[in-house]
Amino acid sequence: MPDVPMAEDRSIGFRYIRERGEVFQAADGTWLLTSPEAVRFAHRHPEIFSSAEAFGTSGLPVPLIPVAIDPPDHVRYRRILDPMLAPRVINAMEDELRAQVRELVEGFASTGSCDVVADIAKLYPTQVFLTLIGLPLEDRDDLIRWVEIMNENSITGTGQPTPIVGEAAMSLFGYVQKAIDDKRGKTSDDMLSHILSFTGEDAWSNEEIVGLCILFTVAGLDTVTAAIGFTMLHLAQNPELRRQMLADRELIGPLIEEVLRLEPPAPTTPRVTTQEVEVCGVTIPANSPIMLCLATANRGGDRELPDDIDLQHGERGHATFGGGIHRCLGAHLARRELRLVVEEFHKLIPDYELAPGTQPRVVWPSSTLHLKSLPLIFPPAESQR
Amino acid sequence: MIRLTIDNALCTGNGRCHALFPELFDDDERGYGRVLSEELGDEQLEQAQRAVIACPEQAISVTSS
Repeated sequence: MPDVPMAEDRSIGFRYIRERGEVFQAADGTWLLTSPEAVRFAHRHPEIFSSAEAFGTSGLPVPLIPVAIDPPDHVRYRRILDPMLAPRVINAMEDELRAQVRELVEGFASTGSCDVVADIAKLYPTQVFLTLIGLPLEDRDDLIRWVEIMNENSITGTGQPTPIVGEAAMSLFGYVQKAIDDKRGKTSDDMLSHILSFTGEDAWSNEEIVGLCILFTVAGLDTVTAAIGFTMLHLAQNPELRRQMLADRELIGPLIEEVLRLEPPAPTTPRVTTQEVEVCGVTIPANSPIMLCLATANRGGDRELPDDIDLQHGERGHATFGGGIHRCLGAHLARRELRLVVEEFHKLIPDYELAPGTQPRVVWPSSTLHLKSLPLIFPPAESQR
Repeated sequence: MIRLTIDNALCTGNGRCHALFPELFDDDERGYGRVLSEELGDEQLEQAQRAVIACPEQAISVTSS
């Protein structure tokens, strides 16, 4: 929906979509499910709303594990992957992840200015991914470049990839394959080594492992980049909100949840119907392309202030991480990254504002809503060492 | 007395319950929620009701008994 006014104010853009109906067919034939009830119905019926059909046509040579897998095979992957990204695993990584974000903030704290997107939001999620799967942080900038090129040309888009996209994809696949080959047969306490250590019936094929790594890179990096950008945008634009949060650290969690609710980096997720189905009184034919509009579902229901950050209701559930069996595998990690960024940034830079003349805009149309840049100025922090 | 339950068929491991209300919930190794005790005193009703709203899957329910 390239015509939707989204760049400067998502409230207007999402309302524009929601007002067209709870369930409706867009001009390009895609059916949009926009209310909390409609989205929940789809999440609870993965056998009717197929994720495999929607992600199976990505044009990639490997299946995106586990999002491109439907029941009954899906649960086999999640039983293995969920414990690897469970809160208790993230807890064990927290000190390392905190040290990394602190180092990034220290890199610009004494200069008096930064671009949140370029200097922290783009770098940190890729570092965390490399840490999680056990690869050197020096690979960060290559990885960021390849993934950025691939995502700009949306892997689920139509048409032939341009040579530059093809080249980036080749580089990324080559990188992942080399990492797998290097780690195979060695013992190490990281996620990739762990999966490679499975034997017999539990062993994963090379294709499955590559598919998982590719999904992590195309779905787990720029989404967190976007969420860091949006969180800092709201804090920069709203000094009162920042003051409240700094006065009471218990509000960091609710703040992050509210920004996630209002600014979902992936505002829609695709499905394809496997049969005719009625949703909220509307009949959708079999084999229809579907978009679950998480962003509008997040603003529906009985909220008093659906379009505003409401710290009093920051613990209420939302659909930004999806729902049902395909609920975002990296949600716990993403939430932790966001919290660590907010905590460490404000320890060194409690007071800041948008650089003069800045008009933050999101990139639209785009599969991932994100800010291109977020320049801030602040009193330079004194050297910490 | 009130009764607090998680519908295991609906829980997908969002983990909001045990993150927000560790007095009421624990997590298993997959990050899925478990109630620490199904039977609670009335004084925990307010917190239990907040947990119901916090669950993105609507998997938590609380009933008076």
